[in-house]
Amino acid sequence: MKALLESFLSVPSNGREGAFRDLLAGLRAVVKVGGYEDAAPFLRGAALPTLDFTSTHSLFRIYRRVRAGLPEPYDPVRVAILGGSVTTTQLAQFIELHLFAAGIDAAVYESDFDVLRQEILDPASGLYGFGPGIVFLATSWRDLTHTPALDDSVSTVEELAAQELAHWAALWQTVHETTGCQVVQNNFDAPPARVLANREMRHPAALGSYVARVNQALCDNAPPYVTIHDLDHLSAGVGRWTWADARFHFLAKMPCAPECLVDYAHSVVSVMAAQLGRAKKCLVLGLDNTLWGGVIGDDGLGGIRLGLGNAEGEAFLAIQQYAKDLRGRGVILAVCSKNEESIAREPFERFSEMALRLDDIACFVANWNDKAANLRTIAQQLDIGLDSLVFVDDNPVERALVRSLAPEVAVPELPEDPAAWIPTLEQYRYFQVASIQAEDSQHADYYQANAARQQVEPETGSLDGFLRSLDMKARVEPIGPDTLERSTQLLDRSNQFNLTTRRHTSAQILAMIGDDAWVTRSVSLTDRFGDTGLISVLLAKVDGGVLDIDTWLMSCRVLKRGVEAFLMNQLYDLARERGVSAIRGTYIPTARNALVRDHYATLGFTQVDAPEDGTTRWELAVTNDWAALETFIEEESADG
Amino acid sequence: MDDLHEPVQAVFRELFDDDEMVLSDEMTARDVRGWDSLMHINIIVAVEKRFGVRFANAEISDLKSEGKNVGNLFEARRNKLAGQ
Repeated sequence: MKALLESFLSVPSNGREGAFRDLLAGLRAVVKVGGYEDAAPFLRGAALPTLDFTSTHSLFRIYRRVRAGLPEPYDPVRVAILGGSVTTTQLAQFIELHLFAAGIDAAVYESDFDVLRQEILDPASGLYGFGPGIVFLATSWRDLTHTPALDDSVSTVEELAAQELAHWAALWQTVHETTGCQVVQNNFDAPPARVLANREMRHPAALGSYVARVNQALCDNAPPYVTIHDLDHLSAGVGRWTWADARFHFLAKMPCAPECLVDYAHSVVSVMAAQLGRAKKCLVLGLDNTLWGGVIGDDGLGGIRLGLGNAEGEAFLAIQQYAKDLRGRGVILAVCSKNEESIAREPFERFSEMALRLDDIACFVANWNDKAANLRTIAQQLDIGLDSLVFVDDNPVERALVRSLAPEVAVPELPEDPAAWIPTLEQYRYFQVASIQAEDSQHADYYQANAARQQVEPETGSLDGFLRSLDMKARVEPIGPDTLERSTQLLDRSNQFNLTTRRHTSAQILAMIGDDAWVTRSVSLTDRFGDTGLISVLLAKVDGGVLDIDTWLMSCRVLKRGVEAFLMNQLYDLARERGVSAIRGTYIPTARNALVRDHYATLGFTQVDAPEDGTTRWELAVTNDWAALETFIEEESADG
Repeated sequence: MDDLHEPVQAVFRELFDDDEMVLSDEMTARDVRGWDSLMHINIIVAVEKRFGVRFANAEISDLKSEGKNVGNLFEARRNKLAGQ
């Protein structure tokens, strides 16, 4: 199977039919004898966003058998797909397949044709029976409800656009308030035919110009619990006439040309995956023939091709600039190269055309070990999962090796011409964005500052001395409008220091903020190396005279700094104020959070219960003679 | 029946997950379990891709009645390929 998948992945997409047929046959043979677990990773690997409709449909049929053969997911993400005036069946199938490919256990509900409003407005609808965590409104431009006439005035058009927005906003609000779900709403794909031809975008009442106006209004006004899915960009990307193949609309009310549905489904899933904290975090780059043309060890500084003046050099420069732009918005960059380290660093230090500098790279690994082992080192040093890495390397042998030895790492197959790499990477949507925070742009800096702190540590001798030398100051405050999105983001992304891994949505946290029984706290930390930003979240509920900790998590950027002890002291004070008799904590084990198995024991809690599934429950009595835990963090008042 | 019969049949066998499916000119969508309107789209997309042709809506009838059967699909595809 491994060989079949590899030979399918490693041939160019225009010549892979034969390899795909062999892979299908292999998958079917495994599934036939009940090898559902064995088939699953290969099914995931084959479900590429670039696959054609018919092949994707074949995979979906195999997926259905695999899904039926695997145990029911324990706590699936419940995704409801509500179609506007379009058929969503194939789209829903492909979304389900790509959710599976993204490693997300999901239950999918699909509404009947064009009953989106009934589903949302009728409290007894199938939608509410299903109980969605995410609702996707699969609309197209034909679902616009307030289109202007060509002779309408500007003010009428503005009024219509406001009504259009209000129409959708009311639906979002209803479904969200009823279920606490996140909403994914398509924007409107501009129709390819233009009645006003070249004048279309200048005339306010023309349909094209109206669609653009409404799309902007959706983006400007969507509340935090609504993600606007950029359908119009998908249409433009493939070409509007290709996207809108009218035959299939007339024949079956398809939302777009069938061949475009695969990419459409992948795009929707990437947005959901990002909300669930599954976006990739780190781009790992090879060096020779990946960031520059030629081999630095053989060709030397004078021989490598990079920079303006020749096409090959410009292509490599564009890749560097692309990586640098990603870093600018928070993607971590790392280097993984087979080279002598000093030689590998030379271009970064001495080649003026380099767009990437050493201080852009959070982790630089150049040696002669195999790259799979080096990728593990990189993940370890950055304290992120292997499944957060994307590995970009020109060498097909290295790519195949990494796929084989470190299958958690995403390894895109790249065309030979580096000029085609950026579009190839973009197709995979590895670094999809659920929300943007001011802090994101500094995200990569945190990892670098961390490396600097690591270097200080050994010299200061004792850990206490080191911690004291950091001059840490922390701010603890209830979650509010300005910290809601970052807190939610942390809930989505934290896997290791996370006691219960409950992925509450911003909607649910909003509800907690408004509920007196709930205590919400965020912690922001600064030290002498800089501002680490909002790094910890705690959610607890007063229940029957006990303060029950629903969620306690922390960014791994600040491990072993005493933040948990500091927050514990705050929590204890709070428990006294609330007059509860005890604080209760729960640890729910996952594949990633063994780090905090003894969290409550360390803080002085006593274990009171341990059900079979590995979950442990802990309690700490609230008394007057409790001694606060020692920390080296000073409290900063909320107003600065 | 001609030499295009075999590859079209292969497409159908794949789509219906049925290695023993045998196509005949007289066959209609009603004769085959699972041939609903969605499968119909899947068939058209697969045949178009396999043969590199593009049907007009009028050529791809619903294949549900006499005169509008699999023979009709063969005919449409034969015309397309002849015209290339």
